[in-house]
Amino acid sequence: MRIKKEMKLADVIQMNYMLIPVIHRFGINLGFGDKTVADICEEREIDLNFFLQLVNAYHDKDYFPKEELQTIPVRQIVDYLKMTHASYLNNTLNEIEQKIELLQSEGSEDKKYITLIRNFFEGYKNELTEHILYEENTVFPYVLAVEDIIKTQNKDPKNLELFKSFSIIKYADGHEDVEEKLMDLKIIMIKYLAPPENITLYHTIIQDLFKLEEDLNYHSRIEDKVLIPKIVLMEKSIQNLFQI
Amino acid sequence: MNRYTIIIADNSCLIRNGLRSILQKLENVDVVQSIDQKEDVCEIVDQLKPDILIINPNMLNEDCTNVKNSFFQSRNISIILLSDHPNDKNLYQADTFIDYQDNQNIIIDKVQHIIHQKIELVPTKQKSNETLSAREKNILKHIALGLTNKEIADQLFISIHTVVTHRKNITQKLGIKSVSGLTVYAILNNLISMDEVK
Repeated sequence: MRIKKEMKLADVIQMNYMLIPVIHRFGINLGFGDKTVADICEEREIDLNFFLQLVNAYHDKDYFPKEELQTIPVRQIVDYLKMTHASYLNNTLNEIEQKIELLQSEGSEDKKYITLIRNFFEGYKNELTEHILYEENTVFPYVLAVEDIIKTQNKDPKNLELFKSFSIIKYADGHEDVEEKLMDLKIIMIKYLAPPENITLYHTIIQDLFKLEEDLNYHSRIEDKVLIPKIVLMEKSIQNLFQI
Repeated sequence: MNRYTIIIADNSCLIRNGLRSILQKLENVDVVQSIDQKEDVCEIVDQLKPDILIINPNMLNEDCTNVKNSFFQSRNISIILLSDHPNDKNLYQADTFIDYQDNQNIIIDKVQHIIHQKIELVPTKQKSNETLSAREKNILKHIALGLTNKEIADQLFISIHTVVTHRKNITQKLGIKSVSGLTVYAILNNLISMDEVK
């Protein structure tokens, strides 16, 4: 079902609890009573169109309002993606890590295996962090410069230099293998490890990994299907504009 | 698990979209395209080479009563007829027949039946034992120790190409892709000890 502006946000969350972290990234806290999506966006000064497109894209895998999403300024998409990154780095990854540490500290003969899992997760965390930093330090400044060139129709030498130094295709090409380790970790925990004494905690960790994977997939969809195509088009028109 | 591609050809959008939504309940099939114009059928089928074509007879040329003709057969495409005329079932020779009146479970059963036939035709490796061979275990051990393909090839006196093939098979059997994941597996299965890992 399509999420609409006159729906109560509480009903939206009832429909799909995976949206809780998404609305949180927009700065919306739970406890909003019977307010509608439109009310809350107004209150929080969130662009209603962007909010609706985004939650719908999250909620329904087949909903991809390419044209509507194309109208949203790059700046807003980037801001949202940054919020998502921050929530991974500051919350999700640490929470999972803490749970694994807890499992480890509970001391039993499984300790050795838990250490393996912990090291593996550390490796994954570093990889994801590196990927996020690359996006924030290289890709995002680039796409913002591209938008700026289009907006001002101006050959600001700094922007132009940035434009020549990079191409969005470079980024699109390497954007697939970040989730490999996460999938491996799940498979190892499901198929090849006997669970430790604290089974409940172990299960929670696996469920957390599934949720993280799902959330990352949504996140990459915004990058791959909205941001990248948008920038590809902009790159072309800049090339035409300045005959580069 | 192998995935199977399906093309739906019917001139009613209600039927096309309805069928597509029912087929989503099957986890190993993808509806890659729907066709609404008779003229497009041959071209699109030829281009996309689906595993299964679900087609309404009115999308076929008039002289085409034997839909298992050379065009489809040479492409190894299973044909499912889709129609609201039960008689069509006997007029054409297809692999199976879906009636507009069929309920969801029947439709799914029929498509699944076709997929099972296809699976049996192609004996896949996936059916074989998932455990690693001694050779693969040995290669896995070297991967876990952090050796490159070239180094493994040199040490075991085999070609790099052979190493790559073994790696592919190992990944397919275990479901683990990354080197660090394979290393964890190797330790868990006592192929190497934890101290050996750098």
